[in-house]
Amino acid sequence: MNISKIRKVMNEEGIVFSFSGMISQSLTSFMLEAAKTQLENSGEDTKMIRSMFHIAVEQLQNIMSYSKEKDSSDKNRYISPGVLVIGYNEELNKYYVNSSNEIYAESISEITEKLEHINSLDKDSLRKLLREKLRSAEDKHNRGAGVGFIEIAKRSSEKLEYSFEEIEGKHYFHILAYV
Amino acid sequence: MCKEEKMENLLIQETKYTPRVELNADDGTIKISGKSYPENTFDYYLPITNWIENYFKESQNVKTIVDLDLEYLNSSSLKAYFDMFDILEDASQNKKEIKINWIYDEDNDISQETGEDFIEDFEDLDISLVVKS
Repeated sequence: MNISKIRKVMNEEGIVFSFSGMISQSLTSFMLEAAKTQLENSGEDTKMIRSMFHIAVEQLQNIMSYSKEKDSSDKNRYISPGVLVIGYNEELNKYYVNSSNEIYAESISEITEKLEHINSLDKDSLRKLLREKLRSAEDKHNRGAGVGFIEIAKRSSEKLEYSFEEIEGKHYFHILAYV
Repeated sequence: MCKEEKMENLLIQETKYTPRVELNADDGTIKISGKSYPENTFDYYLPITNWIENYFKESQNVKTIVDLDLEYLNSSSLKAYFDMFDILEDASQNKKEIKINWIYDEDNDISQETGEDFIEDFEDLDISLVVKS
């Protein structure tokens, strides 16, 4: 194991926090409180940290709820493998929240459609869309209101970046949002 | 005739990702404060919204005060509050006097914006934005 290699990559990518493994509710809370404290200690703006927190919760809970639809063996625990990276992009002078998880191939078109629509909207339209969705039960599933991507976009200063990757027959979804 | 049962108050302690909830039928107060991003939002809020619905059915209180001091809501919790405001709006249309205080820290622009959204979406409700001192 070459830890200096990992440290080098983290420095190069401006990573302030990263995790790869099983994502659960208690870990979500633990990781985000840790990231928040770290940013507070380096004197970052409270509003920026709050937006980062909003974006990261939605990304992590998306990963967790996606697993629930796949595996219903345990009714009360939601746990799913994923990767979370919180970092700082020097060029853009912005923090970002980046995550990745495995998805079903058949979800690709649905996710693409949702994100393309969201990326075509300005902040006002996003605010309206979110309220419409919250007042209707349209996208509601057992855990969430199905509006996580809209919330992420509302709190982001850039359009959402996303991609899909196939590795050894498995499909992965990556999403990146700049705070 | 069966004896009228007194409505139980409901108290839920705060956790790292769920708020403190104090529902008091005796003095007509509904107080919720803290962060809200539960693992299963629907399950978490169901007893709370059930209590509120029953309260408005059974209580003889003239006035109800609702204090909401929520520093962080995830998107599915937002949905739960839209549903709660629907219940409050129904009660208010049934001649219940309800005063809602949406409480937030001065620098919490996201919470302020959420309060403004509720005011816009629930015109019949008496909602005040209250900045914490």
